[in-house]
Amino acid sequence: MFEVIKREGPARTGVFSEGEITLNTPCATDTAEIFPSLRTMAYSNVPLQAGSDFCKKYLKQYDNIFTSHPSDTAKAETGSVVMVPGWHTALPDPRNYVKWIIEMKSRHPPDTMWYSPACALPSNIATLIASGFDLFDYTAVDLKTSQGVFCNSDGEYPAEECMGTGICRCEGCLKDDLKLHNRIALDSEIAKIILRINEGNLREYLEKQSLNSPQLVSILRLFDREYDFIEKSTPIARPIRLYSNSGDSINRPEIKRFGQRVLKRYTPSRTDAAVILPCSARKPYSSSQSHRKFMSTVRDRAHEIILTSPLALVPRELEGVYPAGHYDIPVTGYWDMEERKIIGAIVEEYFTKNRYGHVFVHLNGDAAEIVKNALERTGTEATFTAAEGPTSHESLRNLDRALSGLPRKSHNYIRGMLSWQFGEDTDTSGMMIKGRFGNRKILKNKKQLFSIDNETGLYRPTFEGWETIVDRYIVEIDDFIPQGDILAPGVVSCDPEIRPGDEVFVRGQKAVATGRAAMGADEMVRSQRGVAVKVRKVKKI
Amino acid sequence: MILDHQEKPLASWTGKERISGETVDCLTIIFKSGGCSWNRCLMCGYKFERYDKTSPELLRDSIIRQLNWIFSNYKTDKFRLIKIFTSGSFLDPIEVPKEAMKEIVSRFSDKILIVETRPEYVNDIVLDEICGIMKPDDVGKNFYIAMGLETTNDAIREKCIDKGNTFDDFKEAVSEAKKYGAGVKTYLMMKPLFLTEKEAIDDMKKSIKESAPYSDFISMNVCTVQSRTEVEYFWKRGAYRPAYLWSVLDVLVSSDIHVACDPVGGGKKRGPHNCGICDHDLVEAINNYSLNADRGYLKAHLEKDCKCKSEWEFILDNEMPYCMPLTN
Repeated sequence: MFEVIKREGPARTGVFSEGEITLNTPCATDTAEIFPSLRTMAYSNVPLQAGSDFCKKYLKQYDNIFTSHPSDTAKAETGSVVMVPGWHTALPDPRNYVKWIIEMKSRHPPDTMWYSPACALPSNIATLIASGFDLFDYTAVDLKTSQGVFCNSDGEYPAEECMGTGICRCEGCLKDDLKLHNRIALDSEIAKIILRINEGNLREYLEKQSLNSPQLVSILRLFDREYDFIEKSTPIARPIRLYSNSGDSINRPEIKRFGQRVLKRYTPSRTDAAVILPCSARKPYSSSQSHRKFMSTVRDRAHEIILTSPLALVPRELEGVYPAGHYDIPVTGYWDMEERKIIGAIVEEYFTKNRYGHVFVHLNGDAAEIVKNALERTGTEATFTAAEGPTSHESLRNLDRALSGLPRKSHNYIRGMLSWQFGEDTDTSGMMIKGRFGNRKILKNKKQLFSIDNETGLYRPTFEGWETIVDRYIVEIDDFIPQGDILAPGVVSCDPEIRPGDEVFVRGQKAVATGRAAMGADEMVRSQRGVAVKVRKVKKI
Repeated sequence: MILDHQEKPLASWTGKERISGETVDCLTIIFKSGGCSWNRCLMCGYKFERYDKTSPELLRDSIIRQLNWIFSNYKTDKFRLIKIFTSGSFLDPIEVPKEAMKEIVSRFSDKILIVETRPEYVNDIVLDEICGIMKPDDVGKNFYIAMGLETTNDAIREKCIDKGNTFDDFKEAVSEAKKYGAGVKTYLMMKPLFLTEKEAIDDMKKSIKESAPYSDFISMNVCTVQSRTEVEYFWKRGAYRPAYLWSVLDVLVSSDIHVACDPVGGGKKRGPHNCGICDHDLVEAINNYSLNADRGYLKAHLEKDCKCKSEWEFILDNEMPYCMPLTN
């Protein structure tokens, strides 16, 4: 039996149990000891690259282990062990690696433990885990031992140049035992990755580890292009910083998702005038010195939209929600062509969809140029108000003068956030944000509709709050009254837009409940095990 | 006959060969023929070496022109042994028209002649003809039929080679050959596709033992990666590795009878190879062993050490059908 506990895209932690065996995954172990059937199948090789006819004839199933092959069509059973034989031969071939993973992961149920034999090295296991593998063996590191190669998190080196040099002081190194060192190096790398999954910053580590080889970078980039596959299991929000430190960060699914929601879901509450502002290192922006100056200059005479890399456009109302309130990026003042292209395209699409009466561009340098070019493509007239630096007296005076005569109208944070989070333009008249930072609530007629999650910026609807959101983020359950969390087999159907961490409304014949999704919609539907929804409140009907 | 016309055969070379305990000079000829009628073996790169869709008359003439080329380019008197190959079966009348076959046999009728064929072409008609042509030989047999049994394991032959015949087919051909007093040379194939290093070794050890009673001598080929073959397809994708030379030595040393082996491509990526350091020595040792049959000499090489030996030993214990090949 296998149960997934926490998801980070296709990566996950989980628990496997069968008889007396319990494995907390991801992990490496002597697999043939746990699954003796692995030693039983002589002459059974079917290369990963073999065609479907050959598979049909020769692909053998082991006791207790489901053998998966890209050219096969058989489906594994829920809870089982899925082995992909010969997966180590996919590592040098990134295009097929990604294609085959997507094909096989889409075919088998998510609540299966995935074993990639003879693949795992400390330098590549981050990628293997991020691809959705849970179980590994020591074959690859032991092979390195037999070749006199020292394995490390950042690569493989001749053992004679490493042992005893102080590079590592593990038990193996202290005993001058290369085999032990290499196994420990793999185990400790897995432990590190488990920590990253639990903390929610596996992606940052993956970007770092992918630099160990060109193929690993290719795999990362190719997966990023498979947005639909990667995004569906990527958490909607995290309580930690998101570091956009590498050139590949702009393509991570959280970034793309944010941009897509600004374009497709978000509804601005005014379109008479917009002012485009630079971002600040401090988050949320409004807590920074520069933004205090901007806000006191704008004085609600225009809709404030922040231009930033890698998120492109952050309307003021969304500045607190993940990842807008959480990202950090190295700032140099130079915007590379990839940023210019991606961000320019979002600016263009946003201002094509939302036709503002006036657009004031309070940016300078590359940022101003990106917006200028994008607005030109939309035919939007813009006024440029920043001289040397956007926060200089002169620039702020320019901005103030440019905005003179425009009506004051405060930002509708609730409408902006509800449209972004739930994809519904909700009537927010009468709703008000109350409370101090850290304990903010949205009330209407003294009734609480939402609370704001201080760590992620997400809105948490109460039962009354859910009444304002029509038919979105609903998990339909069977005919039972939830006692504790909702488990996957209890889910009848659900909104396909649900992602891990999303606020959801649970609806059944006997009860309704509020809660937070622990898995994405795809998993809720295709899994038979694991917590689907962490329930906050239940109401019998 | 068009005796004055010549055409170069696919390949020909001279060398020494051990036969019935003595070393003799040998001429090997590979004729370009009509091509193998089976033509499906996964490792075979000779599939494209053929005169396809030509008339039997033109084919006959071409083969005889190739024979002429041999006689004008070699002093054939020098050679005691002649080995004849095509890219298929010398005894297949579609591949080698009967008249061409007879002409070749009669031109070499005073030699020891070895011709290669698939077992299905070994029959009374063809053996009658050949044995009628061959001159009697006082040393013993002067005519041998060489057949690629490859392995005595039918399942491996089918899955890993796609040879299309069985050990029983081979045995039947052997008894047919014996009826006419012809000798049998058996070719085995070490490490075709889809076998772990250990499986490949075990398969050869067993095949040598099982085929010995049917063979006058055994020659073991070690699978190489030839162009435009299934083997090359998998090799290019990291799913096939030719055998280690250590494994070849292991098989030859542990065999009770002398098995010849010419490790073609030895030490190269596409042939049986080790780490690149010890390869040259071991290839030489295997070649010497084929002639001197000195098992002690070969054993001494197997007991040598090299940095790749622990890797090879690891592979034998840990390479499994579900995780192979572990090295390239």
